[in-house]
Amino acid sequence: MKLNRRYLRSIKENRSFYFASTVLTVVTLLLYFLFNIAGNAILTFSQEFYERNKREDAHFSAYMEIPQEELSELADTYGITLEKQRYINIETDGVTARIFDRTQTVDLYEITQGRDVAEDDEIVLSEGYAVENGVKVGDGMKIGRKKYTVSGFMQRPDYLYMLESEDDSYKNISTFYLCYMTDREFETLGDTGCQYLVRYHPDSDVMGFRKAVHERYYMRSYSAAEENPRITMVEQQAQMFIGMAYVLLCILPLVAVVLISIIISRKVKSEQRMIGTLSALGYKKGRLMLHYAGFAAIPGLVGGILTAVISMAAAQPMSEMGLQDYEPMRVLGRLNPLNALLGVVIPTLLYVAAALLSVRKLLKKDTVLLLNGNADGGKKKGKRLLAGRQISFRTKFALRSLLGNPLRSLVVLLGIFLGCFIMLLGQGFFDSIDHMGSAAAKEMGSFEHQYVLNEMLTENPYGGEAMLASAVEDAGGSRLSVIGTADSNPYLNFRDKDGNSVSLKEGYYITSLAQLTFGWQAGDQVTVYNPLSLEKKEIRIAGIIQNNVQKSILTTKALAAELTGLEENSFNCIVSDRALSIPEAKIAQESRRSDITDQAKTMTKQMNFLLQMMIGLGMIICIAAVYVAVNMLVTESRGNISMLKVLGYRDSQINKILLRIHHVLLPIGILLSVPCVYAAAHAFFLWMVEFGVMLMDTYIAPKSYLISILLTAGCYFGSLWLLRRKVKKVDMIESLKDNRE
Amino acid sequence: MLINLKNAVKKYGSGETLVYALDHAELTLNEGEVCVVLGPSGSGKSTLLNMLGGLDALDEGELTVGGRKVTGLSQEQRTDYRREDVGFVFQFYNLIPDLTVEENIEVVADISDKPLPMDEVLHALDIEKYRRRFPKELSGGQQQRVAIARAMIKNPRLLLCDELTGALDTKSSGQALQFVEKMNNQFGTTMVIITHNEAIAGMADRIVRLKDGRICENRGNERKIPAAELVL
Repeated sequence: MKLNRRYLRSIKENRSFYFASTVLTVVTLLLYFLFNIAGNAILTFSQEFYERNKREDAHFSAYMEIPQEELSELADTYGITLEKQRYINIETDGVTARIFDRTQTVDLYEITQGRDVAEDDEIVLSEGYAVENGVKVGDGMKIGRKKYTVSGFMQRPDYLYMLESEDDSYKNISTFYLCYMTDREFETLGDTGCQYLVRYHPDSDVMGFRKAVHERYYMRSYSAAEENPRITMVEQQAQMFIGMAYVLLCILPLVAVVLISIIISRKVKSEQRMIGTLSALGYKKGRLMLHYAGFAAIPGLVGGILTAVISMAAAQPMSEMGLQDYEPMRVLGRLNPLNALLGVVIPTLLYVAAALLSVRKLLKKDTVLLLNGNADGGKKKGKRLLAGRQISFRTKFALRSLLGNPLRSLVVLLGIFLGCFIMLLGQGFFDSIDHMGSAAAKEMGSFEHQYVLNEMLTENPYGGEAMLASAVEDAGGSRLSVIGTADSNPYLNFRDKDGNSVSLKEGYYITSLAQLTFGWQAGDQVTVYNPLSLEKKEIRIAGIIQNNVQKSILTTKALAAELTGLEENSFNCIVSDRALSIPEAKIAQESRRSDITDQAKTMTKQMNFLLQMMIGLGMIICIAAVYVAVNMLVTESRGNISMLKVLGYRDSQINKILLRIHHVLLPIGILLSVPCVYAAAHAFFLWMVEFGVMLMDTYIAPKSYLISILLTAGCYFGSLWLLRRKVKKVDMIESLKDNRE
Repeated sequence: MLINLKNAVKKYGSGETLVYALDHAELTLNEGEVCVVLGPSGSGKSTLLNMLGGLDALDEGELTVGGRKVTGLSQEQRTDYRREDVGFVFQFYNLIPDLTVEENIEVVADISDKPLPMDEVLHALDIEKYRRRFPKELSGGQQQRVAIARAMIKNPRLLLCDELTGALDTKSSGQALQFVEKMNNQFGTTMVIITHNEAIAGMADRIVRLKDGRICENRGNERKIPAAELVL
């Protein structure tokens, strides 16, 4: 069809429109695609890795050793897979090697580089430590007094996030590693510890099994995979990416598609003379609609295809980007073909629909009106605004243009809003995590040192404040800690959400994070279980203590002892504002209040690239949207511009009249984005609580506001600056000729 | 003498498509004169008007207006020339649709050093009662009067009218010409009126005829008649 030759010409003539629309389509879809790909890549990898290496569903230790034949009997009776694993921690020059014996049915290890051990003087070790410390295959490593050769690196499914202790808050790959050696060599290491690894099956009797183990062998500790941060952190990371993708999907592509659809419908309207001419020449409605649908499809198709191509190229590095904290996972970032197809089809369909609706609407009008270019006439809103008032015509022109073209103004507003939103959201995530560090440290208490003991004491807290730290489970098996302390504990100051001081003497209090997670309210009677004996206890919630960091029941030491079945007045945790001289052998875990702040700082450091990416994309969105909209204004105002030039207006004066029309939308767009950022970030943080993450308060630092506002304003004025050239290029004589025609 | 155009050449295209829009044209006009330029389509009338108005630059030749050498002026200087000395009226009025009658005129008054009083101009063109209307709410003739008022508010030395009556009916055309004549009489403005309509030549002090870019006739009009008596 001869008419279709216009496509190429139209692209040439409207390069900036097609370019900016395509960029907008790509950028907004790309953010969703990349986060989604990264999240799913981690999930897919971890699921396959877990399956391949038979990840545990739980592990436990018992006071009495379970003989091998009884292990088989337990497995048969309760329909589970159960295996004993021995291990030993050996410290050499300040570095701890945790050496395991090999298992056959649960928590297998996988060689990721080099080969498995063949000789007694060979070891394989966890890859994260090797990478961090520059250990290479073939290097020598000393464990205790003996030197071994590294034959390869390994990973195991319950240690993808390398915590030395499950209670640690941050990975340790600098002074801690896992290690395997030959069975014969392992036997020479001396006294080993022992834990039991379990895999449950659909028909397993989990509760019966746990009760039986406790009754027969006296369970010392039980840790379900869902509560084990070495395992759950991986899923949390994946879900964080997926969550971010959906937050962005709900806002960016939808808004961008609406925005481009608006632009396309205006573009079609600007072609009304052509539509009228073709209609007068006898072109049928269907054919005309098809023709203009073709124009609209271009940015959708090109944008969708480009997004798919860029996503394919960026999928792998993006998927690996969030994994610095973990053992080097071989994730495969791949664009799902269906997603790629939808990325092309959905925007294209919406753009085409916008064009079809506009053409259909125009074709209902009188052909003569179309030929005169008056088909979309009608009364413009705000046209009479300020008529007759003693105000400069410049102000009246700006206001009428702003209100008389609501869709065009909406495009500018959305561009400013979206740009600022995404920049502020990125910084909001960053600031919230950073702020969480100090807030969490504050919510945990004013102590500086915390010692968790590996035995229960009843006297001499070494000059610190004694506490009882234990845990219970809810009916679904989710764990929450139980902290028993004296009301007089100077390091803990419990307050409710209104800031009123709370006395623990009243009974069992829960933290606000526990309230959110379990849905319990003050006054509720709830059932909790001892995680070892599964003994059932009913407690009444006395109140809620404001603490979004810990999922805990807080009460007096006596009530905590009663709830957990421990001896009254016993304690296993000491807090203090100074370092205490507690014998090393008694300490299971030592932490400082500043650890959590440091952890937050490390997280924000690692997020820096992500933040920069979001800021960059926000800037592109803002520039592209404002450029497209104001470009539309300049194009539609060519006649006015040329006439102003004829009348003796300088280019700078014309720019002032024309390009300042949307200035008022700049603060509005920025202000609108602020509550939306708070809402989106809060929704995201709430959603992440489901995956065991503490509830973060949305916090945006003044510096971030300043940066976002300055960048948004910079992008807005930058777009206008680019358009000054376009105003300058309006040819007086050509425009006058057009008017004559 | 207000206008002195010497040996003016304006070419478009090149090689086989080379067209002389103005081919060594010469024209002089005295202050306060009304000059009507006639000629068929493509004869170079609009090009001549663009050159006189400083909208475009000559390829060769020289143009002096009121002692100011327009040839060789930079883009910015030509803008100043248009702002200070020239008023334009076009066939399709070219009013700004989002501004009222009064505001359209204010657009020019705003950048003029000594604009005429708004009420005086509105009164002279009999459009006082439309001052708060928008262009689309006016007839073609009324819009053309607004366009004349907009051109006249700055009291230009030279008024250039491009097919002033081209889009108007006979009655409105007559009225528009009478207003232009009135402006000429009242303010002594030099006027160049470009038209297809031979009848308009009757009101001219000087009649110029163009053909293929050349001035083929340039004569004084000894039988000048008032615009009101023109048979359009």
